[in-house]
Amino acid sequence: MRARALIYPAGDKMKEKIGVYVCECGPNIADNVDIDKVIEVISALPEVAVVERHKLMCSEDGKKFLKESIQKNELTRVVVAACSPKQHEATFMKVCESAGINPYLFQLTNIREQCAWIIADKAEATERTIRYIRAALRRVPYQNALEKKEIEAKPDVIVIGGGIAGLSASLLLACGDRKVYLIEKANTLGGKVKELDKLLPRMESSSNIISQKIKEVENNKDIEVYTNSEVTEVLGFLGNFVAKVKTNEDKELELKIGAVVVATGFGMLDIKQIPRYGYGKYDNVYTALEFEKMNTEGKILLKNGKSPKSIGIIHCVGREERGYCSGVCCTYCLKFANYIKSKLPNAKVFEFYQELSIPGKAYQKFYEDTKAKGVDFIRSQDIEITEQKGTLTVNYKAETQTLEPQNVDMIVLAPAIEPNSDADRIAEMLKISQGDGGFFQEEHPKLAPVSTSMEGIFIVGCAQGPRNIPESIVQAQAVAGKIFSSLIPGKKLEPEVKTSEIFEALCIGCQACLTVCTYGAIYFDEMKRVCVVNEVLCRGCGNCVGSCLSGAISTKHFTTIQLHQEVVEALR
Amino acid sequence: MKGTKLKVTKSVEKTIVNFLEKGLDKKCFDIVLIPLKVPAGDSFAWVLVQDKSLLADANPLPPVMTVQGAKALSSVARKGKMSKRIAVVMRPCEIRAVIELSKSNQIDLENILLISIDCPGALPLKNYIENPKESENKFNEILRSAQNDKGTQNDIQWGNESTRPICQVCDKFTGTDIGACQSDLHIGILGVKDGNISLIPNSKKGEDILNEMSFPVEKLSNNWENKVKELVKVRKEKREKLQEELKPQIVGLDNLLETFSTCINCQNCQNVCPVCYCRQCYFESEKMKLTSDDYLMRAESKGGLVFPPDALLFHIGRMTHMSLSCIGCGACEDACPMSIKVAQIFSFVGDKSQEVFNYTPGKSIEDALPLKVFEEDEFHTVET
Repeated sequence: MRARALIYPAGDKMKEKIGVYVCECGPNIADNVDIDKVIEVISALPEVAVVERHKLMCSEDGKKFLKESIQKNELTRVVVAACSPKQHEATFMKVCESAGINPYLFQLTNIREQCAWIIADKAEATERTIRYIRAALRRVPYQNALEKKEIEAKPDVIVIGGGIAGLSASLLLACGDRKVYLIEKANTLGGKVKELDKLLPRMESSSNIISQKIKEVENNKDIEVYTNSEVTEVLGFLGNFVAKVKTNEDKELELKIGAVVVATGFGMLDIKQIPRYGYGKYDNVYTALEFEKMNTEGKILLKNGKSPKSIGIIHCVGREERGYCSGVCCTYCLKFANYIKSKLPNAKVFEFYQELSIPGKAYQKFYEDTKAKGVDFIRSQDIEITEQKGTLTVNYKAETQTLEPQNVDMIVLAPAIEPNSDADRIAEMLKISQGDGGFFQEEHPKLAPVSTSMEGIFIVGCAQGPRNIPESIVQAQAVAGKIFSSLIPGKKLEPEVKTSEIFEALCIGCQACLTVCTYGAIYFDEMKRVCVVNEVLCRGCGNCVGSCLSGAISTKHFTTIQLHQEVVEALR
Repeated sequence: MKGTKLKVTKSVEKTIVNFLEKGLDKKCFDIVLIPLKVPAGDSFAWVLVQDKSLLADANPLPPVMTVQGAKALSSVARKGKMSKRIAVVMRPCEIRAVIELSKSNQIDLENILLISIDCPGALPLKNYIENPKESENKFNEILRSAQNDKGTQNDIQWGNESTRPICQVCDKFTGTDIGACQSDLHIGILGVKDGNISLIPNSKKGEDILNEMSFPVEKLSNNWENKVKELVKVRKEKREKLQEELKPQIVGLDNLLETFSTCINCQNCQNVCPVCYCRQCYFESEKMKLTSDDYLMRAESKGGLVFPPDALLFHIGRMTHMSLSCIGCGACEDACPMSIKVAQIFSFVGDKSQEVFNYTPGKSIEDALPLKVFEEDEFHTVET
């Protein structure tokens, strides 16, 4: 391969002392890239001051070696050819910093994921490696030193939704050195749990538990509760959010907070959408929550005031339509059978289920005890409710066979759990995504189950998917942990350095950038009629740059000239 | 179609001017933006007319498009809303450009009444300046043919070979949804058999103006609509035919290089383009200017380099920037001193790119610019 000099268009760029460091990444790179050849070709380039290799540059030994070499050779620019920037860009930036060179004067070239791992032919992978290093060499003289900034981070938190998840999160978070703002849409706290009579599996009183939590929240001086209130706008990022809240007095409150906890809970499927269940059409067909209410009020009665002699409890209402199992209905349907058996010991109870889902260490016994009380469990599908002269009939199939319909006096339906009716609005406001079933999407289903794609915005409880009470509380505790570890009072945050800037002289004020900015980081200056970047909010994603036809925007560290030089050399 | 009939007195142009005078008298609007014949008599200029007497020289349908109307209006109404009510009389392609510019905040439409007119096409500027008098006569003949229409195809000379090539294949020469043109009021002059032209309200603003001027809004005969649709059909076919002919000249880099090889880099096309609204064209900016070493390197690798450099890059770049908003007005081609078929090529590419996004520029202020919206489910054609 011919050692061809790179041409640095501006003469003074030649004055830079550039060091190139090739990492073998153990066998990961060395096995499929001829590193001797790479060193040979790159060393021959006149603009390179030093070329070195190391077995594992990210190891303690490798970092020490890199630091000492940078200092010994008095380098002004550094290129490391190693793995993906996702993996070790930050590592090597720190090394550069410790060696006394601005970390933004360094470039990491990915020769592992983009060469060694994906190109079968070693010679070709080697050629590509050289090409990429040349591109980095061409780019790095055009990079500018960028200075880190530190900003105050607000430790305070806003919790949207005052159900069991929101209450639990608020109580944990209000540990004395931060304020929690709990915003509830309804006029009281407690959410759906307040509408339940007893809690599984111990059948303790739900109202005791929830009212205790509410009392604790109300008595906590670090929690400010706003009922009948709504969050209308949230802008910013972890450590620096500004939220607008419309309170019950129609006042607008502006809160400066560091994190947002979304605990907006759930809604129930409107069963009228599935007419075959007869809800709303026949008397004595109730939803689960209606039945809870009836039981709480003390008596299970038919519309005519008599006690029902037989009750059908129907699971899985809307499961197929919604496309998921709501997970909590089977267990509360067992609870309903217990409600009935304790109030009306002689009433017949039929549980119609499609699939029974009662996992967990405590529930098997509960299921068996319930069954022993004389409750019939009928596996059924294609349920249709009809009525004749006040008698309800459950028509159903088992597998493919149509079975004898079952007459009952009363029916209780367990509808699917749905996202709260506000979910779409909240997702749009917070710029978080909605996943399966319209529930808020977690950042990663296994590894980051309570975080979202927006740093500093967390989801707990049924806002994230159907959950039971202990699961919701566990999530609330998880969120508290996330917030405690990332927003430490008094500790400063480093905002993004690679932000966008708009050159006033080129901006014509068409506001295309403002429309595409997901972070609300651009505003329109009415006086000057140009767009302006709010550097604190900007995350440097570059969306605005792509939308600006005038070329008035540029993102630091990804300027046109830097990218141009890099691409020109990569394609040469 | 509902609207008001207006009796033609003297000429269509005079009738329209009378209508504007009446609007000014009744204070339905305070000021009018309209082309006026220049004192020398050999061109037309956009004038913001406050003094009614000036309207004597107004021509709502001049034979040529000197300055694209949207460009004129943008210079009036770029910096915020108008404090007076202004009536603007333009060709449909000019109105469509106005709508595009308003989406990019280059025209504030508040207090602006957009009036479009059926357009017979415009004459090439080059031909007009050679002999203005003769050109005007020729244009008059084309325009009047609408009124002499006996119902056969040949009666109407609109968009005949004397008009600009892009006008000859224009299928959006009219207002309302038929012309994908969101003016407030459209003036229909085709299909005039009874000596009347039609004022067709196309928005709430348009309806209000007719009410204010006490014109009855009633059901119109189908003459105008039928005639317009008939002509649209003919034009669509012609347009397709022209594009088929153009294709071999512009598909692929080599053909494009050939087609634009005579370009002298004057960038007139960009300067006159109504939807090129940047303060400074990206392709004229410092970002496009490389150092001598860069050019030396390019010359070295290619064996030779044309200067000024990147002429084709300028056209392709401009095309990617504005083709979704290209309303096919033809101003670029009129301005090209080298007679490159700029408008024909750009509107061809525009048609295709607009089709991809199911977007018609100028059709509705409600349709967001494709660049500004993100749809998760779109543009599958580019997926592999």
